[in-house]
This record gives sequence, C-alpha cells and structure tokens, in this order.
Amino acid sequence: MLIWFLPTFLVFLLIGLPVFFALLAAPGILLWLNGQTNDITLLYRNVYNGMDSFPLMAIPFFMLAGELMNRGGITIRLVEFSQALMGHLRGGLAHVNVLSSILFAGLSGSAVADTSALGSMLIPAMEKQGYTRKFAAAITAASSVIGPIIPPSGIMIIYAYVMGESVAALFLAGIVPGIMVGVGLMVMIKFMADRYDFPVASRKYTWDERRQASLKAFFPLMTPVIILGGILGGIFTPTEAAAVAVGYAFIIGFFVLRTLTLKEVPEVLSNAGMTSAVVLLLVGAAMAFKTVVSLSHAPEQLASLILSLSENPFILLFLINLLLFIVGMFLDAGPAIIILGPILGPIFTSLGVDPIHFAIIMSVNLTVGLATPPMGLVLFVAAAVSRERVETIAKAILPFLAVEIIVIFLITYIPALSMTIPRITGFAN
Amino acid sequence: MGGLASVLAPIAFVNETVLRLGRAVGVVAIALMVIAILIQVFFRYVLGNALPWPDEAARFCMLWMTGLMAPTAFRRGGFVAIDMLQRFLPRLLGQSLNLFLLLISLIVLLVAVNIGWSEVTGFGGRFATAALYLPTSFGFDEWYRIPRSWMMASLLVGIILLISVNIELILRSLITMLGGAHLLPEIPEAAVGAE
Repeated sequence: MLIWFLPTFLVFLLIGLPVFFALLAAPGILLWLNGQTNDITLLYRNVYNGMDSFPLMAIPFFMLAGELMNRGGITIRLVEFSQALMGHLRGGLAHVNVLSSILFAGLSGSAVADTSALGSMLIPAMEKQGYTRKFAAAITAASSVIGPIIPPSGIMIIYAYVMGESVAALFLAGIVPGIMVGVGLMVMIKFMADRYDFPVASRKYTWDERRQASLKAFFPLMTPVIILGGILGGIFTPTEAAAVAVGYAFIIGFFVLRTLTLKEVPEVLSNAGMTSAVVLLLVGAAMAFKTVVSLSHAPEQLASLILSLSENPFILLFLINLLLFIVGMFLDAGPAIIILGPILGPIFTSLGVDPIHFAIIMSVNLTVGLATPPMGLVLFVAAAVSRERVETIAKAILPFLAVEIIVIFLITYIPALSMTIPRITGFAN
Repeated sequence: MGGLASVLAPIAFVNETVLRLGRAVGVVAIALMVIAILIQVFFRYVLGNALPWPDEAARFCMLWMTGLMAPTAFRRGGFVAIDMLQRFLPRLLGQSLNLFLLLISLIVLLVAVNIGWSEVTGFGGRFATAALYLPTSFGFDEWYRIPRSWMMASLLVGIILLISVNIELILRSLITMLGGAHLLPEIPEAAVGAE
C-alpha cells in the first residue's frame, strides 16, 4: 500500500501544493493509513537530521559568495575581459555573453544570478548594437544554464548530499559538459551571425589591452582556482572552500576593488540566507521522503516497470532524458533533483550506469529545463530583466535549446566526456 | 469580510514584526557561520590544530537561520510549487484550490509541531551538544554545556512561524475569494532557489 505515496505525491505536486509540503504530506498520509504512526515521527526526525549537516553548509556559502561578487563590481570586469577576447568577432556581444556566463559560472553556480547580473548589463548593450531584444534575452537565458553545470554548483551539492555522492567528483564531472554547452552556443551564434549579419562589438584588442583586461579580471578569475584547487589538493572540504570563497569575495569587493560597501552587506546576507533556508528545508524534506522511498521498495518496482519497457541501457537513457526534460519544463532543477534523484538514481546505477555519470546527465538535463517554456525559471528572470514577453523569448531561445539538447545526448552516450576529469584526478572509479 | 480583515490585521502585524526580527537574527547567524568556518580553516590549516566547536557552532547557526528565515520566504511566495493549474482554472475555482492547498499545508504543520514539541522536550533533546558551551560567569570560569534541544528548537520555532504565516495566508485567501483583494496589504515577492 505504501507504494501509493508516489501517485499521491504526484497529485499533490500537480495541483500546486508547495514541494516541501508535498514531500511530507504524501508519505505522511500513507504511513498514517498504514497504521505506521511511529514512522511519521521518523519523517520529522529525518527532516531535522537532513538539515543538520556540515556538507549542506556549502549551499548558503556559495550563494553568499556569488552575491558578494555580484555586488562587488566583479561582473563588469568579467564582461570587459570577455569583450577583449571575443568582441571583435561577428556577433561579438553574443559571444561575450556566452563567455561571460562560462566565467561567471566559476564564481556563482546559479543560473538566476547569471541571468540577472549579466542580462541587466548585456541585454541593453546588445540592443544598442542592433540585436533584437528577444535575441539578446534568449542568449542570456540560454547561456545562464552553464552556471549550475560548471563548478561550483548549488544543485550538484544538493544531489551529492541527497544521494551520498562526492561533491568534488560531481564538480569535476561538470566542467567539460559546461564548456561544451558554451562552445555549442558559440557555434550556433557563429552560424546565425554569418546568416543574419550580426554586428561586431568592438575593434580587435591589442595583446597589451587584453593583458590589462585580464589583470583587471585576475582576482575574480582566481575564485574557481581557489575553490577547485583547494578541494582537489585536499586542502579544504567543499564547505570550507565555500567559506573561503565568501571571505575572498568580501576582501576583493571591500578592500581590493573597493566596490562593496558595508551598507550593502546585510541585504546580501539576508538574500543568501532566505534563499538557502528554503533550499535547506527542501533538502530536509527530501531526506524524509527518501526514507519512505526505501521503505516502500518503490525503486525496485519502478525498476522492473522500466526494464519491462526495454533492457537496453541506451534506450532507457533516451527515455529517462525525455522524462527529465519534460519534468524540467515544469519544475526547477533543485526540487526535481531532490524528488527524482532517490527514485531514479538507484535504478540506473543497478543497470550499470556510473552514479556520477547519471548525476551529471540529470543535473545538465534539469538545468537546461530552467530555460524551457512554460515554467523555465531563467526565462522569467530574463523577461523581467529585458522587459520582453516570456513567450517571445521562449520562441527565440529554440535554436539554443536545440544545441543544449544535443549536448545532453552527447554526455549521455559518451560517458568519457564527463567522467574523464574525475577519473584522472582519482575522484571517481 | 470586515470581520476577517480585522482578524487578519493583527496577525499580519505580528508576522511582519516577528519575521523582521527573525531575518535580522538570520543575517547574524549566516555571518557567524562564515566566521566559525573561517576560524576552523585558519586553526586547522595554518596552526595545525583543529578546534572542536566551529563545525557544530556553524551547524547551530545554519539550523536557526533556516528556522527563522524560511517563514519569510513562505509568506512571500518563495516555496517552490507548480502553480500552473491554479492559473488556468477559473478565478473562483483557482482561489478555492489555493485555499485547499493552504489547508493541507496547515495540517502538515500542525502534525509537525506536535511531533516537534515532543522531540524537543523528549529524550533526544536531553542530550548535550558535543562541543558547545556558554559562559555563565563574567570571569569565564564557569561554563554551561548547551543541550541538543536548543538546536532542535530551531525547526520547532520555524514550524510555529510557518503556522502563523499559513493562518495569515488562509485569511488573505478567504478575503480574496470574497472580493476584497484590493483591501489586502501587499507582500513583496521573494525569488528563491539553488538554481
């Protein structure tokens, strides 16, 4: 009977109950009907124990570091650096937009922060150069999904915690897919630039000018080096690396660049705190949900159902990508990972798919979902930043989504793309 | 509707005031978390001597930050949900569904507060934290070992605040259904998520 908690949960979710309550209400009701009232207390304990975790602390820290970087005038330095490298190409500002997203991804790990920070700067600049507003908003939204793929990444910390995987392995596995999304978008821009005669953004910079731009961007660009270097070198745990990133961002913004004021700090702390509080509560509820998932033997039953469709892992991975893509259209990446990770992860691991590889397939697919209509979060942020209608951006983003779907299938069927770096560095088998 | 509005006003005032205080404490908590972990990094890697308390102190702060700040996010519509159905339904039906969902949430919260109370005051809460102490004298020669219940209370307090917010949202929903949406004070929206 307990297996019925899954359809109950789906109904709750589809009628609009907040995910946090749905994660608790569905198993709670079924446990109560089953007479397992003691296990309802267990649900509560698991919410608390799920939140009381040292690794999870990396989430508020990375959010805080991203907010501090953004306030500290670091975004503009990244854009200037990108312009010095790519501004002279046809479609220069569109390329700058993508490259800035790749660089920004190494600092923040949030697609929403990327869209709002880069969009508010680059969308008006692109419009001024003759790009349509819908195109500028679309490329900003499409490239922002690189944020949670390239480390650090909030959703990968959540996945690693909920599924008991290594944060470092997931971070490392995200590097190549993130760069592939960026390069793919640039190829599409090149194709469109030649066809629609996009403008160049600036003259070609001299090497001396490029050196100066890179010096200006040096401190922000060192952030991912400190984070990843610290974790890989065994110097810091991911949580400690995140705290160091906060300290570093504060020192850079406040003392070195002097663009951050003390007056701004409480608001930055409040934003990061409130955002993290919701995520932590969700993760706690997910840990409780996960207990009932195992109690109900749902993964085993679902696995046999899925295996009855096909036993070929290639076909199953195709189907699962389809499912994740559809889910991503309606649900944000974090909650989707929290809900589906404990159900799908064990099934595919038992089919021989490496857990880190599956984590990356899931994370990238659901992250791309952030830019898909009708409920893509970054589409709404891009619409707010650009004052363009969501429907219009949703149409303009289609060529870029096609590129991202191709990348999803490449990383699905060529595991080496994501697994090589974690394997070389000894973080995956 | 006038009666509902007069019940809503004091609840909204209390929520506004208490949650503002909660956000202020949450801001201090997140700052202390960073400081605690940076102290740990300094002691562990620079001085080669790990301290016993920073990790637990940071978790203590994180739990209270969550308990005190999540209710504000709930009040501002920051709890993730798929609200497409509500948008597509006719106005009154959509509002009725919203009320129904708030009632389900209230039931979840009431069950949770009941369990939470027995957890905090029960056996588990009687244990002490591993390394957290409070000075009880000005000379710092007497220390009180913080009980685990102080940490566990964070979730209980969070749930109590969520209940208070939920009741406010139910009243707002009822007033909206009765056609008094224009009378409701505006609540700023919150954009939240790990994405």
